[in-house]
Amino acid sequence: MRFSWPSPRHLFLAPLALIMAAPLIWMAITSIETPDQARQFPPVLIPHGIDWHNYTRAVDSAPFGAWYMNSIIVSLVVVVSNLVLCSLAAYAFARVRFFGSNVLFIALLATLMVPFQVILIPTFLIVRHMGLIDNVAALIFPNLVNAFGIFMLRQFFRTLPIELEEAARIDGCSRVGVLTKIVLPLSVPALSTLALIMLLWTWNDFLWPLVAINTEKHMTLQVGLSTFQGQHQTQWTVLMAGNVLALLPLVVAFLLTQRSFVRSIAASGVKG
Amino acid sequence: MRFLRSDHVTGWLLVLPATLVLLVFGLIPIGWSAVLSFQHNDLLSPPHWVGAANYQALRHDPVFRKSIHNTVVYTVLFVPISIAAALGVAVALNTRIRGISVYRTAVFVPVAVSTVATAIIFNWVFDPTYGIANWLLNELGISSQGFFQDPDQALYSIVAMTVWGWIGFDVIIYLAALQGIPQELLEAAAIDGAGRWATFRSVVLPLLSPATLFLVVWSTINALQLFDEIYNTTRGGPLQSTTVVVYYLWQQAFQFFQAGYGAAIAEVLLVAILVVTLLQFLVSRRAVHYTS
Amino acid sequence: MATVEFQGVTKRFGDVVAVDDLSLRIGDGEFMVLVGPSGCGKTTALRMVAGLEQPSAGDILIGDRVVNADSPGRRDIAMVFQNYALYPHMTVERNIGFGLRQRKMPRSEVQARVREVSALLGLEELLRRKPAQLSGGQRQRVAMGRALARHPQAFLLDEPLSNLDAKLRTQLRAELKKIHQMLPTTSIYVTHDQVEAMTLGDRIAVMSQGRIQQLGPPQEVYDRPTNLFVAGFIGNPPMNLLPAAARSGVLTSGDLQMPSPNSAEGEVILGVRPERLAAAGDADPRPGFDVTVDVVEPLGSEIMVHGSRVDSAPGDAAAEITARLAVGAMPAPGERLRLAFDAETAHVFDAATGAALRSS
Repeated sequence: MRFSWPSPRHLFLAPLALIMAAPLIWMAITSIETPDQARQFPPVLIPHGIDWHNYTRAVDSAPFGAWYMNSIIVSLVVVVSNLVLCSLAAYAFARVRFFGSNVLFIALLATLMVPFQVILIPTFLIVRHMGLIDNVAALIFPNLVNAFGIFMLRQFFRTLPIELEEAARIDGCSRVGVLTKIVLPLSVPALSTLALIMLLWTWNDFLWPLVAINTEKHMTLQVGLSTFQGQHQTQWTVLMAGNVLALLPLVVAFLLTQRSFVRSIAASGVKG
Repeated sequence: MRFLRSDHVTGWLLVLPATLVLLVFGLIPIGWSAVLSFQHNDLLSPPHWVGAANYQALRHDPVFRKSIHNTVVYTVLFVPISIAAALGVAVALNTRIRGISVYRTAVFVPVAVSTVATAIIFNWVFDPTYGIANWLLNELGISSQGFFQDPDQALYSIVAMTVWGWIGFDVIIYLAALQGIPQELLEAAAIDGAGRWATFRSVVLPLLSPATLFLVVWSTINALQLFDEIYNTTRGGPLQSTTVVVYYLWQQAFQFFQAGYGAAIAEVLLVAILVVTLLQFLVSRRAVHYTS
Repeated sequence: MATVEFQGVTKRFGDVVAVDDLSLRIGDGEFMVLVGPSGCGKTTALRMVAGLEQPSAGDILIGDRVVNADSPGRRDIAMVFQNYALYPHMTVERNIGFGLRQRKMPRSEVQARVREVSALLGLEELLRRKPAQLSGGQRQRVAMGRALARHPQAFLLDEPLSNLDAKLRTQLRAELKKIHQMLPTTSIYVTHDQVEAMTLGDRIAVMSQGRIQQLGPPQEVYDRPTNLFVAGFIGNPPMNLLPAAARSGVLTSGDLQMPSPNSAEGEVILGVRPERLAAAGDADPRPGFDVTVDVVEPLGSEIMVHGSRVDSAPGDAAAEITARLAVGAMPAPGERLRLAFDAETAHVFDAATGAALRSS
């Protein structure tokens, strides 16, 4: 290997990486300190030994398990529902000529233009009318379909060569058969991108679950975490332990799948 | 049977489930929100019409005005800072030196941390008494600051926190766009005699304009809708210095049970977002270059 | 204007040697074509002159000055890329003027040069358009215009016509030649198309595996190829290569017998170009052989005949013969045809080394 000077970029990138990682590292360190160590200034940067009690106290004082279950259930159902229903609709808009399709498409797209906060109150009233307030189902029903998925999949379906579908129909496939046997298998990248994006949105959703759920054990992870903070306001060590418990899985999942994660985000934004 | 197999029926059957969901939870609420804004609704008793009274009240509401001011200040700071910083970081990361994946990961990870978790971390980092932010400032010779507890600093602290949380997303977009620039264009510019900075300004930057437009629109819309971070840090304080429009909306509807008033705020927000987005697209027609 | 020279230039990519000890001097105003199959090193050689690659060894000289350390922008060269590399966000006018503006040329002069170049290339109507609105041929003209406007010491062209359809290619080829005749700038042109090489080059360098196989004016390379590779590469369709044996002044290949044109002995390869073969009667005194006609392709101006030698075993690849015959009676598939050629048009190559054996 020929020797070459380390790039001067390191001088910029190393401190930057440190600044980005510092809050997370600091959180992790605090979560294994004793309360006395945490209440020191200047702060103790290297803790004297590991205290796991913060974690046990966090788990004992709040139903993290239930929060995880609720988040997982809601996320899974919403992701699957979107994959299925958005595919059906997107395929119809992309390939099927039917009466009123243009008007309908624009109307559905309009739901993307309006931020959720605008329909927060009416959605609350509708869900309350359905008797679903404080029920996990309240978090699922309004999110069964997100027009973003229809838009994204329609764009993607249109890039597939139509000759493949025409050949399949000549071979005797029905419209739905073409969708399931030809189009969807070829759309795995777009489908996984959509799944990833919906998963992120649903998992991190805060405002709607805050409004729709009141009982602690029905809360999703984000809202639960927020009430957890309310209960342990200045108990920093326990608070940080709870925070670690809440964000660890997603961060680990991110570290493991960084490539496809990054590709999904990049795919959603780069046009031109 | 012929009719049942026609494309029109097939098409409608395929879109029906999605249409139903979006009708009930998308289109109807959009209309209902407008209706609500003309009502007095306390979420308990039956609503009654009050005409334009909510909007009139909004015009004279000092807290609403403050919330608009806070939201605008936040947006005007957050959008350019996060995008410009992200561009610089993306250019620095667009290389293959050793350890680049470590650096990239460090920049991206905060995106995977939820808004709630981010808020909790920064409550601790910015703690005036024990937080490492003040420790760092002291090391640099600057006195300790109040951050979230100082009415003059709280909003700027929120800006810093959200830039930390979101810059990774912008960097990912810019990195992908940078890597999409054909190598030949950069070579042609080099042969044409353009130095590094001239190439960046005349070739790279224009070719990044679609990504820049996307990020400006996306960041602006998100900034105008700021809520989670406020709720989990300052709760709109101290002294309403961090009360933003959506926070005020939530307060009115779900704390003070003035759902009609909240709906009016929501309608104003909607118009603002539509106008701002439209303006950005109009400006983009001249400034954004798409390669075919 | 200046000379361009390679002095012992080698380029390695890891273990792969792309350019192997290349030495070549291109004269002032000369149009030099580097031609060869993909991977022969021609593009790498060109990019080293541009400064887009650094030689692993050896020197590149422009105008008798070693330029190894100079960045591309300071070598006063202009390049036309295969994919045009036009700045998509700039108009044609700004694309052409970009390099001039980078060199801080005064506005009036930039405008003058842009006008001069667009008149030359017929681009006046297109100046306000963006590359996306142009056809392939128009884009290539703009790319050439950008290079021409710079008045550089040397032009570097990297397969500029490969992305165009056949008709456009012929058209632009002629235009290129015309422009070079008007403004003879030192030019290095890289292509895999031997027709382009033959028609455009003052001299051509046939390259293979990083080395020059033969260097010379096109007609000379065509008439006197120095080895089998060059013989097979130049000329379309490729030369017919017949295994033969030379003994005591007589060349024998199957049923063919002819006096050996030189004093070589042993295994040789006899080369006869398709255009040198003619349909012959049995009484024709010239050397020849019989083929069974397989496929006949009428081209209008001539007839391409593919056949197999009668005296060879079936399935022997060396038995396939191609001949370009004058228009006349069309042979039919399955027919037996006698093909003859003038002895002095034949080439003889050493079977082991591939080198051409010429009469001493």
